[in-house]
Amino acid sequence: MTDIEKRRIMDRTNLSGETYFLSLLQAGHHYGFLTDSDLEKIQRQCLELLAAKADEWSRGKSSSIRTERAESIMKSNLYTIGLYLKTLPDPEAAVQELKTATVKDMYQKGRKILGAKLHTAKHFYHLVLKNKIVTVNEAYNATLGKSGIGIFFNTYNPDFEAHEIPASIDYQLCRPVTDLAGVEFIQKYLENVYLENEFCRHFAAEDIHHLLSGYDENYQHLLINIFEQVLTGAIGCLLAGGNVRKLEINPEEVRALQEELSGDEDRAIACKIRKAAGDLSELENLTRPSLRDYIEKSLPKITANILHAVRTNTLDKTFVPPLHPERKPSIRFFSNAKMADEAYREMIAELLVCRFSTDKLALIREKVKAFDDLEDVLLDARLSVKEILLLFDSLGDMEIAALIKRHPFHSDVQAVEVSEAEKTLRFSLKTFLEKLPSERRERILSLADRLAEE
Amino acid sequence: MPLEILNIFSPLIQKKPVEEILSCNSMTVRYGLVLTERDAVDLLETGDRALKSNGRIEFGGGVIPKIIAEFCDSPYLTKDGWIETLRELTELFYYFKNETMDLISDDDLIAFMKEQFDGKCHGSPALLADALDSFARRMRDGTDPDRPEDEMGVDDDGY
Repeated sequence: MTDIEKRRIMDRTNLSGETYFLSLLQAGHHYGFLTDSDLEKIQRQCLELLAAKADEWSRGKSSSIRTERAESIMKSNLYTIGLYLKTLPDPEAAVQELKTATVKDMYQKGRKILGAKLHTAKHFYHLVLKNKIVTVNEAYNATLGKSGIGIFFNTYNPDFEAHEIPASIDYQLCRPVTDLAGVEFIQKYLENVYLENEFCRHFAAEDIHHLLSGYDENYQHLLINIFEQVLTGAIGCLLAGGNVRKLEINPEEVRALQEELSGDEDRAIACKIRKAAGDLSELENLTRPSLRDYIEKSLPKITANILHAVRTNTLDKTFVPPLHPERKPSIRFFSNAKMADEAYREMIAELLVCRFSTDKLALIREKVKAFDDLEDVLLDARLSVKEILLLFDSLGDMEIAALIKRHPFHSDVQAVEVSEAEKTLRFSLKTFLEKLPSERRERILSLADRLAEE
Repeated sequence: MPLEILNIFSPLIQKKPVEEILSCNSMTVRYGLVLTERDAVDLLETGDRALKSNGRIEFGGGVIPKIIAEFCDSPYLTKDGWIETLRELTELFYYFKNETMDLISDDDLIAFMKEQFDGKCHGSPALLADALDSFARRMRDGTDPDRPEDEMGVDDDGY
């Protein structure tokens, strides 16, 4: 093997970013740059460093430590040395350094670099908190919050656990950070979030909300990447002639685009997407080179999604029209005027002494003319579940829907906090609904869903 | 070979010198306690086994010379039982380093062992194990490990 070939194999991209030191040793030894005696010297010095760090860890108070702690400290040391070796011009220079420098020296240089990286990562965290977008997506908010990435800056231990990532990170990036660990991972993750936020901030938060609602009305609970949806949506608008500024595209535009792209070769579609992304950068005046680069590198993933959608005739699932949940048609329910208080009290007194259910129901049907009175009777007249169910039989879908809206029976937690009469009413509603044919049940639930909040 | 770097049990780790243990004889001889080279090797092997079975690793000289120095003036030790007691003390030491969750230093643990051994345990390693168990439990629970040990199960006479 020639030296040029060896150098190609020792190319930085062929080495692990996560365990750089080890992979450098492996490659260096494999291709003959490092001898057995070099490795033995390095290993001996690594063990000496481990012994010193173990002593430091126990503050000089213990000559022994748990094995798993020792292994973790060793990984931390090697990670820190790797940070220094990565700063050298190329792997060949790094191998040369391994031959001549001491492990202790390399560790100390790496530790300085680690401190600087930690500082930079903190700076990026502040930037991300500043350019964070307004969204209801839980994973996004939790990850960027104090109990997400924020934990890292309180618990990261650069001296003994430098390779660890003590943070809760659920939010997925369009370009996930791979092959990095410790502070390098956090720094890269934050850099990427910062760029994604930067892009998303070119659009109004409410337009993004409508776009994501179109994708899934319950997107707040989903592990989606907001940037990817927004970039895809914007590209869709440019390809189909929609409103990019508002991220609006209509079903007809999507249908026409599906037809147009179906006749294209994959390469032609990829070209159109690339051009649309370029136009988008011009249109939105995206001048920051790092952001343009991030978009560029995100395109293969987005292109693959669009190509798949075109070929499976499902482009309408990729380019979705915005949904405005607040514009959902709503129904207002008005009750007739309530009866006079005195008359109501008399009726309740009469109901409470009634012995037979049939008499109670007859009295209610005769006297109660307003929905609000009916609701009060259901809570005040101490009716049994059976009597309430009989009463429900005489009500229309809208009245039942209004009762469901006002007395929701979905949560057991809620039920604990309400009165006995309220619990009985909710239980009766639930029982009544369960006994209905599915068609009527769906109709009533749909009505309840569309009833305007009072 | 490169992955061997991660092997913290590498043979490259410096073996603890037998001489360090033998040099303790100059201090213990006045109490009639002397270790042979074979005893020293035996003690080092006991220490290695105890470390391994308790999932621990030791760097530097180790604690055996410290245990010897602390215990050699105990009225309960004689030349016949010296090596056997040292073996048991070494095993107890590493076991209770784990049980106390490394919250106590080597020196403090050895000092506590000596105090109990010469005091309420009356020179019995078995009673010392009980005392250490109670001590470790209180340490883990966050209660004061130094408070008087009524629950040791040992009366004032030690029986």
